[in-house]
Amino acid sequence: MSEQTEQNAQVEQSAPQILTFCTNDNAILEVERDVAERSVLIRHLLEDLPASGQAIPLQMVNEAVMKKVIEWCRHHQKDPPSTGDDDDSRRKTTDIEEWDQKFMQVDQEMLFEIILAANFLDIKGLLDVGCKTVANMIKGKSPEEIRKTFNIQNDFTPEEEDQIRRENEWAEDR
Amino acid sequence: MQATKVHNEMTLPAQSSFTSIFGGHSERVEEIDDTHPDHDHHHELHSRSSVTAASGSLSVAPFLAKHVPEQYAPLGSQNKAPADLIRANSRYCYRHRPDRKCRRQADEPTMDKLQRELETLPQSDQQGIAHVWSLFSAAPAKHRKLILQGIMAQCCFPQLSFISATVRELIRIDFVAALPPEIAFKILCYLDTTSLCKAAQVSRQWRALADDDVVWHRMCEQHIHRKCKKCGWGLPLLDRKRLRESKREIELRATTWDNGAPANSPDAPSEGDSPAADTNSSKRKADAIDDETAIVKRQCSELTFRPSGNEDYFKTRYRPWKEVYKDRFKVGTNWKYGRCSIKTFKGHSNGVMCLQFEDNILATGSYDATIKIWDTETGQELRTLVGHESGIRCLQFDDTKLISGSMDRSLKVWNWRTGECISTYTGHRGGVIGLHFDANILASASVDKTVKIWNFEDKSTCLLRGHTDWVNAVRVDTSSRTVFSASDDCTVRLWDLDSKTCIRTFHGHVGQVQQVIPLPREFEFEDHDVECENDNDNLSTVSGDTEPRSLQATLGLESNAEISQMSPFGPSFEAGRPTPPRYIVTSALDSTIRLWETSTGRCLRTFFGHLEGVWALAADTLRIVSGAEDRMIKIWDPRTGKCERTFTGHSGPVTCIGLGDSRFATGSEDCEVRMYSFQS
Repeated sequence: MSEQTEQNAQVEQSAPQILTFCTNDNAILEVERDVAERSVLIRHLLEDLPASGQAIPLQMVNEAVMKKVIEWCRHHQKDPPSTGDDDDSRRKTTDIEEWDQKFMQVDQEMLFEIILAANFLDIKGLLDVGCKTVANMIKGKSPEEIRKTFNIQNDFTPEEEDQIRRENEWAEDR
Repeated sequence: MQATKVHNEMTLPAQSSFTSIFGGHSERVEEIDDTHPDHDHHHELHSRSSVTAASGSLSVAPFLAKHVPEQYAPLGSQNKAPADLIRANSRYCYRHRPDRKCRRQADEPTMDKLQRELETLPQSDQQGIAHVWSLFSAAPAKHRKLILQGIMAQCCFPQLSFISATVRELIRIDFVAALPPEIAFKILCYLDTTSLCKAAQVSRQWRALADDDVVWHRMCEQHIHRKCKKCGWGLPLLDRKRLRESKREIELRATTWDNGAPANSPDAPSEGDSPAADTNSSKRKADAIDDETAIVKRQCSELTFRPSGNEDYFKTRYRPWKEVYKDRFKVGTNWKYGRCSIKTFKGHSNGVMCLQFEDNILATGSYDATIKIWDTETGQELRTLVGHESGIRCLQFDDTKLISGSMDRSLKVWNWRTGECISTYTGHRGGVIGLHFDANILASASVDKTVKIWNFEDKSTCLLRGHTDWVNAVRVDTSSRTVFSASDDCTVRLWDLDSKTCIRTFHGHVGQVQQVIPLPREFEFEDHDVECENDNDNLSTVSGDTEPRSLQATLGLESNAEISQMSPFGPSFEAGRPTPPRYIVTSALDSTIRLWETSTGRCLRTFFGHLEGVWALAADTLRIVSGAEDRMIKIWDPRTGKCERTFTGHSGPVTCIGLGDSRFATGSEDCEVRMYSFQS
């Protein structure tokens, strides 16, 4: 399947600043190099392999997800490079800028895929936004509401559940 | 094929009633050849499926065999949802594999309902529908998409609406369990304390992750002894004694963790008996002493290579950072809501002018010319140090000695454990009203308008002259070799101990400055802090001195200064000499407290709220505590400038304050000392 992909790619000769990607469902996507380089993985890939004009196969990402990822990268093209990890960990605010909030208004499957893709492609900003979005879905909910939100089976016995609830009572801010 | 089936039944013993729901066995599929469904709508689909069905034995079996060559038969014997069947064939969808754990959960009640509904139909319809389902379940991803598109193309709006509503319900993913652990931790690390504790109650797997040290160590880093940027919430540092105690506790716990019991089950851990567990935990114990942070980091990276369900990992690595956090959180909550117990220490016959406490020892100095040592646990007076001829205005003690300053113009060094006076220093030409020592340097402040520096090591002394009135307080900073002093001349000065000169004078107070306290170096004050809102008591107004922009400008200026190697404190600080503490707080008889930036000499914030002069001041990274002529004690947030709480109780002016992580003590002209404890 991947051989086929590469053959397809060779047919598509692209301008130097345009990169082509082949997703795992065999879609060919064209992206400006500047946009694609929001992904650390792709940036490193391009450093190691000088542009050959071949489509870059993305085994972990399908077309729909990759389109979303590209949309995000394009919007955040001008963002300053991410600051150090330490700074980020201290500032653990879950505020999400408005555009990103809208961008993340997708079903859970797409959100899941975006997070996986951001992790795979090493796009820190997108991974952060994805994780914050999930965190915001958890925040302020009761355990039962969380289970409902993510379709999780409660696998505690009633006795365990009661004990764990008591163990965690201290965290109520009052 | 037979062998495959048997094998499958062995691995999946839970046979179910819906074996036939999604087709599966080739025999079964072939059976329905001539009894295809006959529905009124979906004409197109009907006609297409009839084509398939008509040539059933020719086309269905090859279709299934082609797309699921090795696993075709097992499909029928599985009792899982369609997505589970997908999982059986990794070619369907690249991430629906057991190793990725991204599949939808089997939803048995739904399957049951489907089965029962199917059974209400005539036999021929049942077979027809089962046929469609089995075709779909056998189809690879691309074909499935096509099939779905074909079906949806024929749907009317009510049916599409049904799909849309159903799909919304169906696409619910257990992110925390399904994502790789390092991403799950990342998500959990965005949660607040309360939400994390709710998350721990969701399921076993959530509990394992949400209770893990990776998460709680981070929480501790963020909140203990500092204010979290996000929630404006800080926890006091464990005092040394308690830190040692909990460390021992953690070590003990580490060695007694058992290999057999899941670490996160609510059962108490039992004794570890396997030798492997023992070496593991003792190794870990050594590590824990060396570098706790490194452990947590290593743990985090190790996780990426381990399946998240590995209970071994959680068990042998489990250390309760959550417990540490919980303990601090309780104290923090008590501070926040002002829940405290109050102890009163009575014994002095005149106003109490100075005090200090460490662990269970409290030392107080009074205008009655005595110093008293108290046990804070019992409230008992342990000892009275007698020797000064006039009122005691200042004191400080450490493990071995207590130094006091008196209006009798002398300083005395005491063995506070025995009550013996070891030596007396004279040299000031007026009363000694402020003192501070650190390492080998003692600084004393006097009515004679000077600060005297006493070097214990080389026995040298020197005088810092410049103030034009009484010097009320001094603070030594050993690392930068500087001293701060506060004076009745309304200024605060910063002195260089190398050159014995004044490097900076802080102007702004319009009353006599009584106290100067450098803030700990970890204290951070940024533009963000200025904007920070707090919904607690708002008894004071934020000073107009500070604007985010000007602060940023200041920060920018500082970093530029660093680049060009120009120190704002002068040439002697350029060659790597540590700079003085970045921020100081001061209190004065103008009823205000001020926060200053030492590098620029600018006042960043003024705290208004006291009605009369502020005699006493204490501060750490989390709060400022002040006591005043108006008999009130106020707790302030240094970042917002807001007064968080006011305590009353003294019947005279409050003259001195001591501050710890979970308590503070105040002395007053009413001869009493009150200790407020926020320990739970």
